[in-house]
Amino acid sequence: MFENRAIGLALVLPAAIFAAALFLLPVGILLAEAFQTENGWSVSAYGEFFASPRNQTVFFRTLRLGALVAGVSAVVGYAAAFAIVSLPPTSRGRMFGLVTLPLMISPVARTYAWLVILGRTGFINKFLVDLGIIDTPLRILFTETAVFIGLLQLFLPLMIISLVSAMENMPRDAVPAARILGANWFQVFWRVILPLTREGLVIGGTLVFTGSMTAYITPAILGGSKVLMLETLLYQRVTVANDFVAASVIAMILIVMSFSANLLLKRLATARKSRK
Amino acid sequence: MNSRLSTWLILGLTLTFLIGPFLIIIAAALSAGNNLAFPPQGLSLKWFIKVFTIESFRASFAVSMFLAVFGTITALVLGVPAAYAMTRFKVPGAEAVKLIVSSPIIVPGIIVGLALLRYFVIPLGVGIGPALFFAHTALVLPYAVRVVSASMENLRVDMEEAALLLGCSRFGAFRRIVLPNIRGGVLAAFILGFVTSFNQVPVSLFLSGPGLRTLPIDMIAYMEINYDPSVAALSALLAVMSIGIIFAAERFIGLSRYV
Repeated sequence: MFENRAIGLALVLPAAIFAAALFLLPVGILLAEAFQTENGWSVSAYGEFFASPRNQTVFFRTLRLGALVAGVSAVVGYAAAFAIVSLPPTSRGRMFGLVTLPLMISPVARTYAWLVILGRTGFINKFLVDLGIIDTPLRILFTETAVFIGLLQLFLPLMIISLVSAMENMPRDAVPAARILGANWFQVFWRVILPLTREGLVIGGTLVFTGSMTAYITPAILGGSKVLMLETLLYQRVTVANDFVAASVIAMILIVMSFSANLLLKRLATARKSRK
Repeated sequence: MNSRLSTWLILGLTLTFLIGPFLIIIAAALSAGNNLAFPPQGLSLKWFIKVFTIESFRASFAVSMFLAVFGTITALVLGVPAAYAMTRFKVPGAEAVKLIVSSPIIVPGIIVGLALLRYFVIPLGVGIGPALFFAHTALVLPYAVRVVSASMENLRVDMEEAALLLGCSRFGAFRRIVLPNIRGGVLAAFILGFVTSFNQVPVSLFLSGPGLRTLPIDMIAYMEINYDPSVAALSALLAVMSIGIIFAAERFIGLSRYV
């Protein structure tokens, strides 16, 4: 560690000034916009925003989808993570690679695939019609179901990664010991696995929840204007109605949420470090 | 319960859900027909060839490449000294600096794009080009600082101190001792930044215009009007490109050690 503060400061300043001037400042002004009215500062824009039934619908839909995706990915994630850690080391590494592979690929490409699968003339509808199960194609695209499926596929890998690393840190004989002592699988999960992997669940859950809530591409492509989420609503408000006040309110909601999620994750990380 | 069977059943289903859609995209892209469909109508490579002839895709690919390469390099030029300072010097207000530099991770991209458009492009009369460039740089900056800091922390300080004692200048010590030792971390940060920037959509939404679009935005615009397999072919090509880059990076520098 060197003592010279001046050099240290000179080295961090370019990055800090860049981020502050081209990032924090414009975002800050945008957030302030909702508080400015003709007669001074006020929070009335927030009241107006939430008074609109459409905005309420979108707000609660975004929360609901975020929670649903986080919940379902936790259930699927536990099963998948448990299966992965029970593999022998070589196939475990390979399987982990396959599960994380989708994260490297453009979300546009990932979401686009669901158009081919869920569309009116898509794979699922064709299959069901050909089998004679349904006469007319189902409407799956541009429903919440489609957005849910797309988000789940997008963020499930994050949950699996968090849970796999939590399970790898679990004492290896905890599960067999519980089994020998007569616990059934439900008890093993509830009383052994869950408490020991709670931290991984919180990390994965936070990543999936905030990821889903701040998603743009998936609701834009699979939900369209019928199933708006907060980010697609923001885009629509600006491009269709020039409504920058609504945009500012939505921006605040998203930033507050994302910031608290980040804070939570940082707490967990420091707590873990200090325990080691 | 047959645990081996259930293990493979769970993994099979999970992978089908996660990776199956790509296989369907690749199959749909190989179609000889004119509409996006799976199973494909006949086999051909014509959509893979057609992608290269679509003028707007070529232009937007160049834009995305430029942003990903030079935006990431700029982020590293800003980020490496910052990471060096924060791991080696007592910087006044280090926590605040860390927070400022990592803030682009916390703020959703769409908000950054809108804020830059409203309060940078319009009032200063700058084109959207520079704004797009700055936005992508800011987006990559946190990754650059974080990944490079991690590999600086793993490098022992005494080597530099030895070099300084032996009469090396501070910059010389950085160039001869630190830089060669953190090469892997810098390369990992570059690859991570490149992939992040290239795949990024929301930040570019408000900073795109008719003549200037990133590739993912162009793909979304194209698929809203056309229902042919060319976006499927392009998606497949991009997926192969990303996987190739990551795979090579893992092979040669062990990318996963750094992230």
